[in-house]
Amino acid sequence: MKNKNNFLHRVILQTIGHEKRQHYMIPVFTILLSLIFGILVIALLGKNPLQAYYNLLQGSGLAPKASYAGHKGMITDFTSFLNALTPMLFAALAVLIALKAGLFNIGVSGQMLAAGFTATVLIGYSDLPAVVAKPLVVLIGFLIGALAGGLVGFLKHRFNINEVVSTIMFNYIFQYVISFLINTFYVDPVSRQSANVKQAGRLTLVDVVVGDYKMDIPLGILVAVVGIAVTAFVLHRTTLGFEIKAVGNSIRAAEYAGIRVGRTRVLAMMLSGGFAGLAGVTYYLGYFASIQPKVLVSTGYDAIAVALLGNSSPIGIIFSSFLITVISKGSTYMSSTSGVQAEIASAITGIILLFSACGAYVQYKVNRWKDERNLKMEESQ
Amino acid sequence: MNTIIIDGLSFALPLFIMAIGGIYCERSGITNLAIEGLQGFGAFCGALFAVCIAQYFAGNSPIPFYLAMLFAFLGGMLFSLLHAMLCIKFKANQVISGVVINILAMALTEFLTKQINASIFGAASNKFVLGVSARITVPVLSKIPVLGAVFTNLYPFEIVIALIALIAWYILYQTRFGLHLRACGDNPHAVDAAGIEVSRVRLIAVMASGALSGLGGICFAYSISANFSSNIYSGYGYLAIAALIFGNWKIMPTLGACLLFGFARSGGYELVKFLEMPSSYQDLVMVLPYVLTLLMLIFFSKKNHAPKALGEIYDKGAR
Repeated sequence: MKNKNNFLHRVILQTIGHEKRQHYMIPVFTILLSLIFGILVIALLGKNPLQAYYNLLQGSGLAPKASYAGHKGMITDFTSFLNALTPMLFAALAVLIALKAGLFNIGVSGQMLAAGFTATVLIGYSDLPAVVAKPLVVLIGFLIGALAGGLVGFLKHRFNINEVVSTIMFNYIFQYVISFLINTFYVDPVSRQSANVKQAGRLTLVDVVVGDYKMDIPLGILVAVVGIAVTAFVLHRTTLGFEIKAVGNSIRAAEYAGIRVGRTRVLAMMLSGGFAGLAGVTYYLGYFASIQPKVLVSTGYDAIAVALLGNSSPIGIIFSSFLITVISKGSTYMSSTSGVQAEIASAITGIILLFSACGAYVQYKVNRWKDERNLKMEESQ
Repeated sequence: MNTIIIDGLSFALPLFIMAIGGIYCERSGITNLAIEGLQGFGAFCGALFAVCIAQYFAGNSPIPFYLAMLFAFLGGMLFSLLHAMLCIKFKANQVISGVVINILAMALTEFLTKQINASIFGAASNKFVLGVSARITVPVLSKIPVLGAVFTNLYPFEIVIALIALIAWYILYQTRFGLHLRACGDNPHAVDAAGIEVSRVRLIAVMASGALSGLGGICFAYSISANFSSNIYSGYGYLAIAALIFGNWKIMPTLGACLLFGFARSGGYELVKFLEMPSSYQDLVMVLPYVLTLLMLIFFSKKNHAPKALGEIYDKGAR
C-alpha cells in the first residue's frame, strides 16, 4: 500500500509538481478528477458513462451524430454551440474583471437583463437596417451594462455599500421592473414572453443557407474574441490594468502608491458591467430573440464559477467556458439518447466547480510533498 | 392591515432564521453566500422525508410537518459540511465555495427529485407536493387591537423560529462559546492564542448556518409554494444575506431588516389589491423592499463594518 501511494505521489508530482506549469495543470487535474467522478455516478445509475460523455460532444457539434434532420449536420450543431458559448464568455469576462479589482459582481444576470431589454426596446423593435442596428445593439448593450455596473461601483465608493448586497438588490429590481414593462407593453400573448426582435437587430444570423446546411451564425463570438484580447491587453499592458490589479491585491498598498482606489473600482465595475451587458445582448438578441419575464438567467452565477475555473485569466476562461457549455448544451441530446436525466449535466458541472475550488489546496499539498521529497533527498545525500 | 402583518411575518421569519445562520457563519469569519443552496438542500431533505412518511399519517396530521422540519434542519447541516470542508480544510476561496455550493445544490436536488420521483414513486414529476401547513390563532392575545394580528393565523413554524431565534441570540451574545465565535471573526489569532481551536469553532458556526438555512427553506416550502421544486431557489437565501449585511451582522437589526422585507412585500400586494390594479402591477410593487433597502443602505452604510477577518483563510503561521 505504502508503495502504491508513493507511486501515485510520484505521478502527481511529475505532472503537476512543476511550479511554472501549475497554473494550468491544476485546473486540468481537478477537471479530470471530476469527470472520473461523473463516470462513477452515471455508471451507478446503470448507464454507459462513456456513451453519455460522447453524447455530450455530439450534442455540441464536436462529434458526428448517428443521423441528422434535413439541412442539419455537425457544423450546424457546432455553430449553435458557439451561439450558446458567446454569452458565457462575456459573462465570465465580466466576473473576471471585477474579481481582479477585488470585487464580486453577483449582478451579472441583472446587468445582462437590463442591457438586453434596453437594446430590445430601442433597436430590436425599430426599423433600422441591419448594418446600423447590429453595431448599435452592441454599443447599447455595453453602455447600459457599464452604467449598471458603474452605479454599483459608485455606491461602493461613495456610500460604502457592499457590492454583493447592491448587486443582489439590483438583480431583483431589474427583474421585477422589466417583467412589469414586458407584461404591460411588449408581451407576445402566445409565448408569454416579450415579442421577438426583428432580424435586423439580432446578433445571430438565423437559418443562413451555407451549401447544403441551414445554420445559425453567431456574430457575437467575434466580438467576444476581441473582448478577450482587449481584456488581456488592458490587464497586462496598461496602467489601468495595473491599478485594477493593485487595488484587488491590497487597497492600502494601492493607496500608498497613489492610486485613486475609488476611481479604479468604479472603472473596473463599469468594464465588468459593460461585458455583462454584451453577454445580455448576445443572449437576448442573439441566442434567443425574446425575454422571458420574471426569470433571471443562471449564466451570471455560472460565470462566477467559470471565471474561477479559468484561473481568473482571460485565456483560461476560453477553455472553462468551452467545457461548461459543452456539458450544458450537450445534455439535451445526452438525455434523449442515453436516457440519463439532463439534470445530471448540471450536477457534473457543479462537481467540476467544486473540485476546482479545491485547486489552492491541491497546489498546497503538492508543493508540500515536493518539499518533503527534496528534504529526503538532501538527507540521503 | 391584518393581512399585511400576518403575511409579512410569515415571510420575514423564515428569512430571519436563515439570516441568523448567516450571522453565525460570518461572525466566525467564514463568508457565506451558500445560504441559497443550503436552504434548498435542507428543504429537499425535509420534503423528501415528509413525502416518504406521508402514507403512515392521516391527511391533516401535523407530525410529518414537524419531522420534515427536523430533517430539513439535519439536511442543511449535512450539506453545510461541504462548505466547511472547502473553506476550513481545503482553504478554498469562501465566496467561490458559496457560489459552487449554490450551483451544486440546485443541480443535485433538481436531479434527485426527478430521479426519485421516477424510480420510487413511478411518476414523472419534478416536485414533491407538500400542501400548506395548518395555521393557529392564539386565543386571548389575538384579540388585542392591531398587535393581535401577530398572533392570528400563525404558521406553527413561526413559533418554532421565534424560539430558536431566542436561543440563537442567547448563545451568540451571552455565552462563552458565542464570545469565542465572534472573536474568531475579528481576530482568530487571539482566539488561537487563548487555546481555542479556530477551525472547530468555525466548523460549528458553519453547521449552525446550514441547519438554520435548511429550516428556513422548509418553512418557505410549506407556506409559499406548498411543494418542493426548483421554485425554492427564488433568491430567499440572497435576500437573507442582504438582510444580515443590512443589519450590520447583528441579530436584532437583522430582524428589523427581515421585517422590513416582509411587510414591504405583503404591503405591496395589498396595495395592488386595494387599488384594483391589474396583477402585472404586482411586479412593480415587489420592487419596494429592494429599493427601500438600497435607499436605507445609502444612509446607514457608512457605519457598516464586516467582521474584520471575514473571508480570510485562517493561517496559523501568518502574522
